[in-house]
Amino acid sequence: MSAVPGPATGPAPVPGRAPTATVSAATLLSVFVRIKLSLLRNGLRQSTGRTAAFVTSIVLAALVAAFQLLGLVLLRGNEYAEAVVVPLTALLALGWAVMPLFFADGDETLDPTRLAMLPLRPQRLVGAMLGASLVGIGPAFTCTLLLGAVVAVAHGPAAAVVALLALPLTLLTCVAFARAVATANVRLLTSRRGRDLAVLSGLLIAVGAQVVNLGLQKLSEPDGLSVLEPAAEVLRWVPPAAAVGAVRAVSDGEYALALAQFALSCAALAVTLWWWQRTLHRLMVSPDVSTLQAAEEPTGATRGTAVRGPLALLPEGRTGAVIVRTLRYAWRDPKTKVGWASSLGVGVLLPVVFAIQGNGSPYNACWAAGMLGIQMYNQFGQDHSGFWMVASTIASTRDAYVELRARMLAIALVAVPYVCAVSVLSALLLGAWDRLPEVLGLALGLLGVLLATGVCSSTYFAYSIPEEGTKNVAPGQGSLAYLSIFGGMLGGALACAPLLALTVWLHVSDAHGALWVVLPAGVLYGAGVCAVTLRVMAPRTAARLPEILAAVSRG
Amino acid sequence: MVDAGGGRGTSPTAHGDGGRRGGMAGDQDGTGRDGTGPGGTDPGGPEFGGTGDGAPAERTDAAARTDAVPAVSIRGLRKEFGQQVAVAGIDLEIPAGQFVGLVGPNGAGKTTTLSMVTGLLRPDSGTVRIAGHDVWQDPVAVKSRIGVLPEGLRLFERLSGRELLTYMGALRGLPDAEVERRTSQLLHVLDLAGAQSKLVIDYSTGMRKKIGLAAALLHNPEVLFLDEPFEGVDPVSAQTIRGVLERYTGSGATVVFSSHVMELVESLCDWVAVLATGRIRAHGTLAEVRGDAGSLQEAFLELVGARAGTSATAGDSLDWLGGDAR
Repeated sequence: MSAVPGPATGPAPVPGRAPTATVSAATLLSVFVRIKLSLLRNGLRQSTGRTAAFVTSIVLAALVAAFQLLGLVLLRGNEYAEAVVVPLTALLALGWAVMPLFFADGDETLDPTRLAMLPLRPQRLVGAMLGASLVGIGPAFTCTLLLGAVVAVAHGPAAAVVALLALPLTLLTCVAFARAVATANVRLLTSRRGRDLAVLSGLLIAVGAQVVNLGLQKLSEPDGLSVLEPAAEVLRWVPPAAAVGAVRAVSDGEYALALAQFALSCAALAVTLWWWQRTLHRLMVSPDVSTLQAAEEPTGATRGTAVRGPLALLPEGRTGAVIVRTLRYAWRDPKTKVGWASSLGVGVLLPVVFAIQGNGSPYNACWAAGMLGIQMYNQFGQDHSGFWMVASTIASTRDAYVELRARMLAIALVAVPYVCAVSVLSALLLGAWDRLPEVLGLALGLLGVLLATGVCSSTYFAYSIPEEGTKNVAPGQGSLAYLSIFGGMLGGALACAPLLALTVWLHVSDAHGALWVVLPAGVLYGAGVCAVTLRVMAPRTAARLPEILAAVSRG
Repeated sequence: MVDAGGGRGTSPTAHGDGGRRGGMAGDQDGTGRDGTGPGGTDPGGPEFGGTGDGAPAERTDAAARTDAVPAVSIRGLRKEFGQQVAVAGIDLEIPAGQFVGLVGPNGAGKTTTLSMVTGLLRPDSGTVRIAGHDVWQDPVAVKSRIGVLPEGLRLFERLSGRELLTYMGALRGLPDAEVERRTSQLLHVLDLAGAQSKLVIDYSTGMRKKIGLAAALLHNPEVLFLDEPFEGVDPVSAQTIRGVLERYTGSGATVVFSSHVMELVESLCDWVAVLATGRIRAHGTLAEVRGDAGSLQEAFLELVGARAGTSATAGDSLDWLGGDAR
């Protein structure tokens, strides 16, 4: 090595090992913006699907933004203009504030813990990260929307000047909200609970969409916009909507009000930035999640150590253990939970909604059976690579038989009472008590058939369900999944034919008095198909364990 | 270095634990499994340790057993993934009652080999026999005899540590009371008692390896296969795992574990097999494999064809880093 003369004590300093020069704010900003652009570009380079999605979202966002801009410009001069734009701005800001809680993984520059090892001061970091955050579809869309909002309420040159200030102020506040919330919750977001939350957010969005839908219907009624006025009354004092309120106030010559509103908005941005910087600082000098978890004191037995309650009635051995595990997963695993929740929800909603709309039929109770029956599909895919634990303990056909039977029983334990309840409910809503036996028979028969076909598809068409993200099929296994689901449904429909034929025949031959026969026939048929399928499939499942494991471990 | 000989295998505990080892065989048919325990399906077999009654008199001396039937016998094992040959025909006999290290660089085929040996991956060709039983022809005899801790595969992570062990015990057909007893002891010994109610998904890497080891040990197998059991594990957990494994081999059982940390293998193992590019490069006792080389590390680098000095040519270009190129 080069001999650099140095002090006698300690090793010779090496050229270049000087304290890192402090980076100027402008350089840091440009670095961050470039990182963001590189991440975006590299993300798109990875797959054409992602590029397509990106282009589609750009086009969609541009279209929606254009329409919104047009709508807001047309609103100019309307007496309810402020009543619309102020709540709209507030809603937008709220959206920005909660968004990172659900889509944390979308932006890697969002995670400041990645930068903890770099010699950067929080203040600089805040400026650069804020700048980088302004790059993207979201901020561009927000900017257009805010432009429309201020255009709608700005009248006169003074108002135009305030509008020019209010627009960036509001945009910055929105982005700063998002970043500050993400930073404050980074522990939650990078933890398992946070990721679970993100999976459940799909349900939340679906519900939210319905609420928005209802709201829009109400607003589009004649004079519907007036209902917004009380909201605007309050929200014009809530930053950053207050900044837009200030533009309106200047237009109407209420300068004192405008000043107060504008000052409030500025203060809000300052407080947000200050809060963000503080949490950022705290985050970067405190231990991360793994250290905290390791140091955690045992919190005592929060989760039951033994099986209690009704579960204790289950049989010992594999049967009981598998049932308990399946039911625990239905509650604890977010994807399984979403699956069960949708099955249970749709299963009761469809018959009830049809009945209320007046075109109901008691046979709609079969929806519940159908939705719960498909829970048996791709059983092993739900285990993902954890299936090795099952595979390594299935040594004989008998083991495979017991395993499959237990998984079936776990679903039946919920599905049978539920299907009965929905059938009774349908009959109650439609007042068709005389049809109840045949409906019950058909529904339970269908449930049995779907459970049975589920065993086949689980064995022959297993596919992996990735734990992370919202995808339910691992890349490259889409066709396998379709084959599994649709093949199974087709098989199920065919297998149900005898039962359907019996019902139709009894109806056609006017043997209405004998329709009750469908109930025992359906129960026996469903149970019989399950029993036969288990016998037939158990040796095949036992023989295919390595293949199933390979299929479900993907992704 | 610890004793490289078969000292552990012949320790008195092998006899003392005789009943324990076979104890689970006869009484595990809670789910209707008949005679799936070791030896249950093949009465009169020549191999060791498969007696359901656990009578100490039937337990032969560990050294003699080692001579009789190898713990693992691999013949012509081969696996390809598309164009890539992962395991290119392996023949290996692993003696029973030893602490065996399967070493090799990343991508050598260790995980693929262990997956095939434990019946989790179907080989393209070749046979594997565990204690004389073919893995693919006689899974009933094999699966109850082996314990597995794979690398890179999940556990049932939405169960708590205790629930996971209880679940595995039930799948193994052990009676509930026995599962409860073994689970409590394993959790305690592996220092997981404080985290037993926590979901496995919230466990650290070390805790995960330990709960995996507990699950693999629960049914007291004859042969334990561990894929990188010390990878990403902190020194405290590593020492705990080590202690449990040493005690386990002390009872006459076999541990086969893969690793690329030579110092660890050197300090733990009696017997080593070196795997590189899908082939066995050397195998035998530690002393045999080490040969004239100063350490297992040097012998290993020689065997896999990566000399320690090859990086010297690139050393000059790092002059700004200080220090001399070696």
